[in-house]
Amino acid sequence: MNNVFRSAAALSLLAFSGLVAAEVAVIVNPGASKAPSQSQVANIFLGKDKSMKGVDHKDWTPTKDKFYSAVTSKSESQLKSYWSGLVFTGKGQPLPSVAGDAEVVARVAAEADAIGYVDAGAVNDSVKVLFTLP
Amino acid sequence: MLKRLLPLAICLASTTVYALDQGEYRLNGFGTVGFTHLGGEDEGRSYGVSGQTTDAWRGDQLSKFGGQFSYGLTDTLGVTVQATAKPLQDEWKANIEWAYLSWQATDALMLRAGRLRTPVYMYSESIDVGFSYPWLRLPDEVYSQVQLSNYEGVDANYSLPLSFGSLSFQVAGGQAKNRDYFAYDELYDIDYDKVFGANVSLASNDFGTLRVGYVEADITTDINGSVVGVVPPGVGVSQQQSLLNLKKNKGKFTSIGYQYDDGSWLSANEWTRRSVEGDGMESIDAFYLMGGRRFGEFLAHVTYAQLDDNGGRQTSWTYGLNYNIAPTVVLKGEYKRVDTSGGYDGVFVRGAQELYQNTVSERTNGAFGVPARNYDGDIVSVGVDFVF
Repeated sequence: MNNVFRSAAALSLLAFSGLVAAEVAVIVNPGASKAPSQSQVANIFLGKDKSMKGVDHKDWTPTKDKFYSAVTSKSESQLKSYWSGLVFTGKGQPLPSVAGDAEVVARVAAEADAIGYVDAGAVNDSVKVLFTLP
Repeated sequence: MLKRLLPLAICLASTTVYALDQGEYRLNGFGTVGFTHLGGEDEGRSYGVSGQTTDAWRGDQLSKFGGQFSYGLTDTLGVTVQATAKPLQDEWKANIEWAYLSWQATDALMLRAGRLRTPVYMYSESIDVGFSYPWLRLPDEVYSQVQLSNYEGVDANYSLPLSFGSLSFQVAGGQAKNRDYFAYDELYDIDYDKVFGANVSLASNDFGTLRVGYVEADITTDINGSVVGVVPPGVGVSQQQSLLNLKKNKGKFTSIGYQYDDGSWLSANEWTRRSVEGDGMESIDAFYLMGGRRFGEFLAHVTYAQLDDNGGRQTSWTYGLNYNIAPTVVLKGEYKRVDTSGGYDGVFVRGAQELYQNTVSERTNGAFGVPARNYDGDIVSVGVDFVF
């Protein structure tokens, strides 16, 4: 009983600290040959720069919202509008996407030229943090 | 131009544009359901690129639907087909707008061959995708100038990422035969030979996108109308009047556009000049200036547009309010006030008989015919744009 109570308290604390911090980390493979700047990361995720493989999130999560608003100043509908402009002019296709932070970390860990972004709490030793967005 | 750009493009191997992997396919769709109404003193008259804006609430000026299928034949070779259904004059028509093979030669260079959209205006290549621009009705003053939406030929697209954005070039060439041209309330046959276009776009992450484009073509058309005579001794006698006859006359079109969007403020502006060699007319200049501000899911915008055509002028103010119902669905409402001066019809539709009567009046100093006059209108449009 005591144990259950304690872990519940710990969980709620974790959740709380998660809410407060919720930093977004831009991550690359530890063996990455480049360290792109924030504007280069914007180019990669807007399909303008193909020198690295951007790994995107499938669903519009708070992490995704924060990443796109901080790096590209685009909201969800603006981003959709941007890509529809490229898709229907035959000039580009949205980046491949996976579901969830763990999948993004796994993809970035698996490919030398992959780049992604996740909640800072999801980062582990298999990837390198390029920079974090507060 | 083509000869100079291609080697440059090939040696500057670098980045951009995602091609589909082999066997991968994408199916995307878009559409607009919109209704529009012309009010004011000219009730009963038609307005618009194909004349469907009238004093009845009609859906066939703005509504359109499209689907696009892309398939990766190999990792660098792909095929794309886009079909649309949209009204032309008073009929719905199915069209193949895009049907091309694309080859991603390098990360930065893409070559395409087949039926391609003509890169005339800033919004040409997504002209049917209302979701990609803020208005329900693109500023008619500019967007009524060239009615050619696609051609058969080739193009090269080169894109270079920069530290602050990207720079892209496009060069296009081909022809477009047996197309429709809407003039004086009728559709005429028109041929465009030796279509050539080139444009450059500089996109910056913080300061917007500047695009400069040029397109030319050799135009052949014979626009004539059946009119009833008003000058003695031919009063009441039906006759054919030639209104415009072009035999491979070179038409030239220049567009300079600028777009800005920082997430809350946005602006879109374009200036165009159209001329046809040997048509005895001066060039037609048009522009629009648009500014808007987002408030959460709302976007409020205002646009001033002007069209100058051989002494006649059309001006308009458009006020619009958009609301994002969902990330891929936007509800739009617009009010546009249009006025012309200099005895000019602008984007209002004048029939062959009216044009003939106006011309007779001018040539006989008002002894016969009916003098040309000015028009005005209040246009209200509401609709929904979506993509999937």
